[in-house]
Amino acid sequence: MTVPFAAKRLGKELQKISNSLPPGVELVSAENFEEWLLDIKVLDDNPLYQNQTYRLKFRFGPSYPIEPPEVVFVQLPDRPIPMHPHVYSNGIICLDLLGQQGWSPVQNVESVCMSLQSMLTGNSKNERPPGDEDFVRVNRQRPKDIQFYYHDNDV
Amino acid sequence: MPPPNTPEEGLATTALRPSDEDNFRVSSPSSAMAHASQTTCSSKLDYQNIEYIDPVDETLLCPVCKTAFHSPITTPCGHTFCAGCINRALETQSTCPIDRLPVDKTRDYVRLPLIIKDQLDRLQVKCPNRGCDYQCSREHIEGHYERRCEHTPVQCPDPTCSQRVPRRDAAPENGCMHQEVTCEFCEERVTFVEIISHQTYDCRGAIVNCPDCKEHLSRHCLAKHQAQDCPESNTQCKWHSAGCKVADKRRVVQEHEQSGCPSEVVGRLMQKQDEDRKIIDELAGRLTKFELAQSKKRERHTQRTRVGGSNVANTSRSATGANVPGITLNNNAPPLFPDSTDDGAEGGSPEDYLLAQFERLEAQVELLRKQSLEMDARQSHIILQHATHFSEHLTEIGNKVGIVNMHMSWLMSLQRQNVQQRAGSTAGPSNTGMSHGNVTSGGGRPPPPRETSGWVYSEESPRNSEGRSEPLHRL
Repeated sequence: MTVPFAAKRLGKELQKISNSLPPGVELVSAENFEEWLLDIKVLDDNPLYQNQTYRLKFRFGPSYPIEPPEVVFVQLPDRPIPMHPHVYSNGIICLDLLGQQGWSPVQNVESVCMSLQSMLTGNSKNERPPGDEDFVRVNRQRPKDIQFYYHDNDV
Repeated sequence: MPPPNTPEEGLATTALRPSDEDNFRVSSPSSAMAHASQTTCSSKLDYQNIEYIDPVDETLLCPVCKTAFHSPITTPCGHTFCAGCINRALETQSTCPIDRLPVDKTRDYVRLPLIIKDQLDRLQVKCPNRGCDYQCSREHIEGHYERRCEHTPVQCPDPTCSQRVPRRDAAPENGCMHQEVTCEFCEERVTFVEIISHQTYDCRGAIVNCPDCKEHLSRHCLAKHQAQDCPESNTQCKWHSAGCKVADKRRVVQEHEQSGCPSEVVGRLMQKQDEDRKIIDELAGRLTKFELAQSKKRERHTQRTRVGGSNVANTSRSATGANVPGITLNNNAPPLFPDSTDDGAEGGSPEDYLLAQFERLEAQVELLRKQSLEMDARQSHIILQHATHFSEHLTEIGNKVGIVNMHMSWLMSLQRQNVQQRAGSTAGPSNTGMSHGNVTSGGGRPPPPRETSGWVYSEESPRNSEGRSEPLHRL
């Protein structure tokens, strides 16, 4: 019986983030090494995200951190899905960092949270991605199986 | 998830590990041989599970696995990883995980300076086996774990059994120890070889001795016993928040508390104060809530009287005539909608609602007006800017035309002069005086005295051109 690579690395990460997390990021639950929940906030005064907290769900495969984790926003009564041209209304995030190509094993949960924070901070468009309704209605795929086309380098 | 440092965690399957890793391990031939002979029966040390005694400097941590480097290599771009980690990473993407520069697996690797290796070797570590307290520098832990430690799982002496047993139990005379037995305390099924470790570490029902008072009790009660009851456990005086420094065995502390802790008075006072504060906070909260409700009621009341009182005031207040029908409706509202104002909800009555709507619209109109004004100002500013720009261009062009004009007149005068000169030279010297006069009037210096035969244009022009062009430029 061997402890998977992912669990060992996640154990180290958990140790680190339970001691200190960057401002605006909070660990909600990490009961196993498969699924973690974190809350993030946008700290500057971007009016789109002011006074809001967003819930992120991380799902780790057995080959994390070689493979990227699956990261989505989760909707709860007090946790909306943030408005962003790269975030679908079902919480799926289109970010190259989370794709097979953009991911790098030196990334970690903390750095992903911070990237998402800055992705929201830098946004000024109060809109969903084009074709959001169709995508949300039709898509049954897991985020990691979707072939996103990363065209927008501004955000 | 088993807690760290279980014997199971120490097992690393050799199959999972890329073989390249071994190529980079610096090991003496003898240890390599010993290693080869032992891998069949002994577990291999998993470097990612070793517990370090002191926290390891962050510069010595692999960016992929976040543990201290194990047989590290450096990429051509200068980044260092455990050989195993970089090999795994390159299986999916053949670029450096840090800067994404291309890396060719194994061929591009650069060996690390030995000084780093020495640093890693000197880190103090604990043996990953549970039950073993051995500590040493990291370079020796592999030998200890794989060859000497009595707790390292090795293959079962029974050739028909594929499971593993700790080395100390692996004597051939013991036979296979993997038959399951029932734990006498918790009724769980455990293999015979694990029963001791189960009862020592995991079993919730096993009877243990309290390490402080030696009392026998089952393990799951131990923590509570130590925290609350055990007379021999160390604890603090219950008034320590009030400044009492007494901390001793519970027995002593209890005596001290009963005999009257000097901080007790302060402590009780603090308790009382805390309770009072809670009450005050609650009352203050209620008061603000009450005041808020009161002010809302008052506001609504004044609004209603204002609306009901004077229609004139409202019409004069409204900037746009389109809202007037709304106002008249407001006035009619009370008889139309019977009283529903006292339900306490905000904007409960129709006139309140309409008034609010009206005010909102008015604010919007005001906002739009402001915005259009702003836009106007911006537009005219832009136009003005463009206009000044154009007029500048125009004056510039005018200037240039003037200059060209002057050049033209000068050239023409020169031409005329030449023609005249030529005519003069054929007719006689009497005309030269006139041509002189023309040249000086053009702004140049008077031509130097020369022989008359030298009056040829080509000779004259280089000297005069300097003097003549100057005043033109000044214009």
